[in-house]
Amino acid sequence: MRIYAFAVYLFLYIPIGVIALFSFNAGRHASQFQGFSVQWYGKALSNPFVVDAFKTSLTVALSSAVLATLFGTTAAMALQSVKGRLRIAFDALIYIAVMVPGIVIGIATLIALVTLFDWLNPVLAAVWPLADGAPKLSLGYGSLIAAHGLFSMALVIIIVRARMAGMDRSLVEASADLGATPWGTFRQVTLPQIFPGILAGFLLAFTFSFDDFIIAFFVAGSQTTLPVYVFSSIRRGVTPEINAIGTMVLAVSLLLLVTAQAILQRGRQAG
Amino acid sequence: MQRQDLRTWLLLVPAGAWFLCMLILPLIVVFVFAFGERGAAGGYVPAFTFENFANLGARWTAFKNTLILAPLGTLACLLIAYPLAYFLALRASARWRTLLLILVIVPFWTSILIRSYAWIYLLGGQGIPSLLNALGFGNPRLINTPFAVLIGIVYGYLPLMVFPIYVALERLDKRLLEASSDLGSPPWRSFLQVTLPLSMPGVATGSMLVFILLMGEFLIPAMLGGGKVFFIGNALVDLFLQSRNWPFGAAVAVALVVVMLVTVAAYLRFTRRWAGGRDDVSLM
Amino acid sequence: MTDRKDFLTREKFMQELWRYKKGSVTRRHFLGVTGLGLASSVLGSAVPGLRSAAYAQGSIGDRVVVASWPNYHDPANFDAFTAETGAAVDLNVFGSNEEMLAKLQAGGSGWDVFVPTNYTITTYVEQDLIEPIDLSKLPNYDAASFDARFADAGTVNGVVYAVPRNWGTTGFVVNTSMLGDLPKPSSWKEFWDMTRAEFSGRTMVHDYQLTTIGNALKYFGYSFNSIDPAELAEAEKLLLDAKPHLFAINSDYQPSMRSTDAWMSIAWTGDGIQLHRDMPEIDYVLGKEGGELWSDFFAIPKGAPHREAAYALLNYLLNPEVNAKEVAFHGYPVADARVNAILPPEMLNDPIMYPAAELLSPLEFGAAVTLTDPNRAELMARFKSA
Repeated sequence: MRIYAFAVYLFLYIPIGVIALFSFNAGRHASQFQGFSVQWYGKALSNPFVVDAFKTSLTVALSSAVLATLFGTTAAMALQSVKGRLRIAFDALIYIAVMVPGIVIGIATLIALVTLFDWLNPVLAAVWPLADGAPKLSLGYGSLIAAHGLFSMALVIIIVRARMAGMDRSLVEASADLGATPWGTFRQVTLPQIFPGILAGFLLAFTFSFDDFIIAFFVAGSQTTLPVYVFSSIRRGVTPEINAIGTMVLAVSLLLLVTAQAILQRGRQAG
Repeated sequence: MQRQDLRTWLLLVPAGAWFLCMLILPLIVVFVFAFGERGAAGGYVPAFTFENFANLGARWTAFKNTLILAPLGTLACLLIAYPLAYFLALRASARWRTLLLILVIVPFWTSILIRSYAWIYLLGGQGIPSLLNALGFGNPRLINTPFAVLIGIVYGYLPLMVFPIYVALERLDKRLLEASSDLGSPPWRSFLQVTLPLSMPGVATGSMLVFILLMGEFLIPAMLGGGKVFFIGNALVDLFLQSRNWPFGAAVAVALVVVMLVTVAAYLRFTRRWAGGRDDVSLM
Repeated sequence: MTDRKDFLTREKFMQELWRYKKGSVTRRHFLGVTGLGLASSVLGSAVPGLRSAAYAQGSIGDRVVVASWPNYHDPANFDAFTAETGAAVDLNVFGSNEEMLAKLQAGGSGWDVFVPTNYTITTYVEQDLIEPIDLSKLPNYDAASFDARFADAGTVNGVVYAVPRNWGTTGFVVNTSMLGDLPKPSSWKEFWDMTRAEFSGRTMVHDYQLTTIGNALKYFGYSFNSIDPAELAEAEKLLLDAKPHLFAINSDYQPSMRSTDAWMSIAWTGDGIQLHRDMPEIDYVLGKEGGELWSDFFAIPKGAPHREAAYALLNYLLNPEVNAKEVAFHGYPVADARVNAILPPEMLNDPIMYPAAELLSPLEFGAAVTLTDPNRAELMARFKSA
């Protein structure tokens, strides 16, 4: 059994090893090793488009995760006391959001927004009161955050609802009986219990948005997110710069997770 | 219908509006486009025709590829992930467990593009085939085949499959297994009759997650299939970003969603028997 | 100090080019008479008034977004442009004109400059996706020194929408060291036959309807631009027959040719030169039956966000000295007589870059109708999804 696990880990990490290996390639091609060099890390970090793409990815991921967590949590809470057709409608919406493949959502968003903008922009231009021209709506940050937040919100609702289902209702009732306001009850009783669920939802939403390629590929417009940049780099002709980016992302996520784990571990020992 | 108070409504409105505007509306637009006609140089021209749906057969191979490789990939992923999840949940020492778990999920955070690119190298002429050649096994063609796509799928989705199964197995009450062996049951029988059934919710969750994602996949076939293995996702990308036949693309998208609805509904009904019946979709 | 005696009038240049293409004169005569064969350094350095307009750092913005083709640009030239103007070049690569059109039709592409092929420009104008070029902002562009045959497609209804970049041919590359006893193929018939036989699993075709369908049509001797349903049906049958034997369907074939995963591929002139340069066993072949003669242009899409930077980049790249460096990198012939005066004679005598007349004459320019014809688009899509 241990051998099997080891083999699987090998399978998981050999390609990553290849990526990391070629990121130190002195040569230009990501397929012929020609000596050791860290030049590609420098090039990746100083490439304005890489930095831009990273910033865009980060902004979109944070915004969509925050919004999705906020609205998803409030919806999950509200859905507790909703029955009947409204409840079924919402369940259906969540089900659709999760089940429709990302590519369909990306395409649907693209053509819906393009059609909308084609219609709306001339109207805006005609009625805009100020002299310096109407804003021209187009795909970009807005469409990215909106499209990503959709799937994330469904995820958050599912997670938080599951967490709420396992919550002890008697505490909430007791709190109300003792005269606490609904907001107070929420803040001091409900929230601490569902907080792990909210946090998990936020992290998942962030990860999904940061890593997403399919939806960004269609709705990013002139903005570039990091996965989209990697994709166009591959088309441009792969240089080890991509390997450097991949290795850096891997190293940072590994570091973050291990650190978080160490902190939690210490917290558990101390507490 | 019960009256909901104002507060509940307010809490629901943002999410509801978001779903309506960014999910339902675009899907309706796609549905409407599916009945339209292709513009002169591509694009959409308002019309009402069933021609696009009639032509869906032209993409039959893409549908077939997806409907074969998606379940196959899910199954392969499951077969490889389950023993690993079992090992992590029931055999690994607590000291190492978290680290090993982290090591499983971290590759998932490296862009699938870069990881698939590594496979292009590994499966290409200078990678594994040349190794096999040196060992005397001839020079097999590995890249740009359905096999390569399958490897890419398993590799890409393995972490996603491991986690739900791990969670289900970890919640398993070990005392049940002890009781089972105390009662004289051999390990394999304990596994079949105790462990496996109790881990089914995790298996169902992981499989459905991976299957749904696979049905919409286009990157892995594009990179590892060399343009020769076409999934529905690839057909969609081509129709919107190359042949520019938006109405036909919309029809293919509608067909894909219908196929998803049918298969996932059937799947849920099937797994509900195992998972014990819940009245809302749970992915966790 | 401008010695322009050996600089031809456009009419004489055209005339000689036609004679050369018809086979009435030898290539040597053509090169001699037009002055292309004279790498006179005196001429090369003595053309006045050709400087990049001096742009202060930062005055044109911090970036320019370009949509172009694989292996088409020398990174060193872009770096030099960035050093001079402070604008970084964001290069996006595509494998077909159809993909570029699709992205522009979807709107919000964010491109400042793109590189369309001759047959697409009228469609871009009709679809209102392209801007007229303000020639006053391109002092380095001298219309008179460009061969009209390769520059005319950029002017639609009297308005200049695109300036010519380079021209080229579409043929195929073949790794001759893998041929064994086979004769080197010289026709599209051999290309498609070998694909399905000796080179099975080792051939690539473009993910591009114009060249892939066009060269399949050539197998039967039909026109490269045919939209006749019967002829297209035959081409489709050939393509579907060949598909299981293909290594890949990809317009970026250089990596696979270099790693010898692929031994043969539909290819363009410059890639042929680049591959042959590094791997002399790879030859570039023009099919006897014909193929494509094309001209690529620089153009500015409608609503380009960094227009000043776009003009700065175009002006920079159209500077004959810079352009000559580009040619030395990508190997595609340029129709600018000033550039050809600077290039070394070996390059001008390269049979890949300047093919023999009898190979050049059956070639056809792409036709606009192939871009808009729904049957060709759907055929390609069906072929890919088969």
